[in-house]
Amino acid sequence: MSATLQNLVNQPYKHGFVTSIESDVAPKGLNADTIRMISTKKKEPEWLLEFRLKSYEAWLKMEEPIWPNVHYPKIDFQAISYYSAPKQKPKLKSMDEVDPELLRTFEKLGVPLHERMALAGVAVDVIFDSVSVATTYKDKLAEVGIIFCSMSEAVLDHPELVQKYLGTVIPPSDNFYAALNSAVFTDGSFCYIPKGVKCPMDLSTYFRINTEESGQFERTLIVAEEGASVSYLEGCTAPAFSSNQLHAAVVELVALDNADIKYSTVQNWYAGDEKGVGGIYNFVTKRGLAKGVNSRISWTQVETGSAITWKYPSCVLLGDNSVGEFYSVAVTNHYQQADTGTKMIHVGKNTRSTIVSKGISAGHSNNSYRGLVKVAPGATGARNYSQCDSMLVGQNSGAHTFPYIQVANNSSQIEHEASTSKIGEDQLFYFAQRGIDAEAAVSMIINGFCKDVFQQLPMEFAVEATALLSFKLEGSVG
Amino acid sequence: MSATGTINAGYLETLLAGQPQLPTSPLAWLNALRAEAVDRVGVLTVPTLRDEEWRFTDISLLTKMPFHPVRTTISLQAADIEHFYIEEAATRLVFVDGVYAPQLSSGIAGSGVTVVNLEAGFAAHAATIEPYLGRLTEFRDNVFAALNTAFLHDAALIVVPRDISVTVPVHLLFIATQKDVVSYPRCLLLAESGSAVTVIEDYVSLQEDAYFTNAVAEIALLDNARVNHIRVQREGAKAFHIANCAVSLARASNYQSVSVAFGARISRYNLNVQLAEEAECAVDGLALISGRQLADTHTCIDHAKPHAVSHQMHKCIVGGGAHAVFNGKIMVRQGAQRTDSRQSSRNLLLTNKAHVDTKPQLEIFADDVKCTHGATIGQLDSEEVFYLQSRGLSDTAARNMLTYAFGAEIIERIPISSLKCQLEQTVLEQTATQL
Repeated sequence: MSATLQNLVNQPYKHGFVTSIESDVAPKGLNADTIRMISTKKKEPEWLLEFRLKSYEAWLKMEEPIWPNVHYPKIDFQAISYYSAPKQKPKLKSMDEVDPELLRTFEKLGVPLHERMALAGVAVDVIFDSVSVATTYKDKLAEVGIIFCSMSEAVLDHPELVQKYLGTVIPPSDNFYAALNSAVFTDGSFCYIPKGVKCPMDLSTYFRINTEESGQFERTLIVAEEGASVSYLEGCTAPAFSSNQLHAAVVELVALDNADIKYSTVQNWYAGDEKGVGGIYNFVTKRGLAKGVNSRISWTQVETGSAITWKYPSCVLLGDNSVGEFYSVAVTNHYQQADTGTKMIHVGKNTRSTIVSKGISAGHSNNSYRGLVKVAPGATGARNYSQCDSMLVGQNSGAHTFPYIQVANNSSQIEHEASTSKIGEDQLFYFAQRGIDAEAAVSMIINGFCKDVFQQLPMEFAVEATALLSFKLEGSVG
Repeated sequence: MSATGTINAGYLETLLAGQPQLPTSPLAWLNALRAEAVDRVGVLTVPTLRDEEWRFTDISLLTKMPFHPVRTTISLQAADIEHFYIEEAATRLVFVDGVYAPQLSSGIAGSGVTVVNLEAGFAAHAATIEPYLGRLTEFRDNVFAALNTAFLHDAALIVVPRDISVTVPVHLLFIATQKDVVSYPRCLLLAESGSAVTVIEDYVSLQEDAYFTNAVAEIALLDNARVNHIRVQREGAKAFHIANCAVSLARASNYQSVSVAFGARISRYNLNVQLAEEAECAVDGLALISGRQLADTHTCIDHAKPHAVSHQMHKCIVGGGAHAVFNGKIMVRQGAQRTDSRQSSRNLLLTNKAHVDTKPQLEIFADDVKCTHGATIGQLDSEEVFYLQSRGLSDTAARNMLTYAFGAEIIERIPISSLKCQLEQTVLEQTATQL
């Protein structure tokens, strides 16, 4: 049973996305001309081309970072094609055409029916439910003045907003992969919540999922004006496959006075097979700028996929009384490697941050928490609480914590705690006594271990995430 | 990058200047060890902020100072240094600017225990110490340990034979008397199986100008041995102190260490502890600094084998514009099951300009382990201060008492009462002037 499921999750998607027309794919390699070509193809304004070229200049001068606790063969950046026209996934006419194994995965995860169809690549126009749902949402959002569209659309329709905020949180020269992304990003999401508007529903990339594949260099920008609030969901629990091995996304959040942004991610990219062959390299830069007073930025992530995950969703707490939060569950199995955590940069007065990180490593995988809590001299009254717990399953896995704490004034309170535990024989025995089999017991223990994080997820996400976790770890205990 | 490289190289060359004049040792392996260390100094560079291990500790100031090895030794009288003596520790080895001072030292009587300077102990112990001297310290990747090893000709040597418990603590006193001098204190402690000993490693100064102490200590505990290691760094205010200590614990041995840092303009202490099966260690530290001082403690506790226990508590009290750094790494290697490891880093900032960088780090490759670490940074609790004030203490007295109590928790763990009193007094004085 569990072996079948393992296979199922780790199986490459057979229905391949690579059906692009040759002429729409840029030749391999990266130079200024490739960037000009991307910009022209996308009919971008002059300032964006300049932004890209500047980023490219900066990237050329940078060295690939080697400090993360992950190992992989060197990436040849000249062997990647940096542009292909948005691809339409092959449309299927009904659910009957979908790979039955994929359907069983959905069943196991409890993915809602209309989502299953969308995820499996069934054409939207044959899913009656979904169409009505999506259009109703769009109308509702427009009514309150929220802009929610792809980055390409935003660049053409709202250039002044994009220009004002793009690259302000993560400057192009921030790091190697952010610079690369700034030079060659192809698409992503743009979201703008006007002053005083509380977004009436959770925004999700899922609304856009079936229109196109957003590519390996995704760029997301979310701006919440004064008093606005939004909850944004990225990714989904269903396994996602990609034809690209390197993914270097950039996500920027800007919260002005009294604004509130909640960003949730569930990442389940292809993780490679049980021997550690293949799988996605997920090198992401995510940062939120709590710019205004009383603003709040909250990151929640459930990281289960990718061969290598390398990301640190961060908060720069610039405004006085601003709040940063980070809740994370990272699961690694087989030969997966995850180096993830957060940075909380306290700049304003009376800023507060909370970090709750749960790492689970199984198989031969390595899971690292790397975090920074930095309190600037002027950030008086800063408060931070960090907790990072690791759970090891099996004796070949590794768990690591690298918490950096830097404090430069004496009115701040910083606490950091970490612990390591395992699923003990005695715990499983206790469950067995009460008639609960090992599989259910593990699922319950894991669920309890991650409860603090799952509570932060929107309801249906939380249910799916719970299922996803026990699913990922099946067969690794007992 | 290349520019700083050449500056570094030139600097290291000047430091090596006196090395060829060292007398050749009768022991071939020691000469070979020194030669290898000289080679390593040639390959390595002085670390900068770009090195992960040194990213919070800027020692560029050190490279600008014209330190040279000691040229003339100053002869001290017992009266000059008596105030450094520790009542309980009658056995004493004194090194002045890194040079052994026999007239100030007093050996140990009977029981077969060796407490001598290395030059005197070579003849009898060459074979015993060969597997340990220069082998426990990773000088091949550490430029300061390599420099020390390059200059290795004398050292404090303690060998405690099998099943002997030394009741009287051994006091190793390193005194700095000259400015612009770099000294290379070296200790080797070998506790054979079933033995027990208490050692005080003490760095003091009789002058206030700049000098550089580059120390290395190697401690080997064989099966079931017990070692109490107390380290007191009370160098002069302008001194530079860089020290490496490597401890290797064999099966079921027990290592208790308390390290206290009060002095030096810039100090750095690297402590590496390696544990075998069922070994136990308690590694505690206190840094009390103010003004422009920088105190950096890097520890690595390596659980190489199963069933070992390690406890660590490190505290920093930081006043003025001082800067404290702590990096505590706990490594649990594959197969080191049933490891029990606890680490805690507590930091007290007394002023607005004080600054702490702490990084408690866990690397775990075994699943059946109990590992926790914690870190806190904060100031005195205003409610606690208020409580004491409500009992009639002044604000200053209340703060002073709380600060003292914070530090006393570590000093309490020193098993020698006169030293404990001395250090507690120092903490009280320091905190009184701070507030």
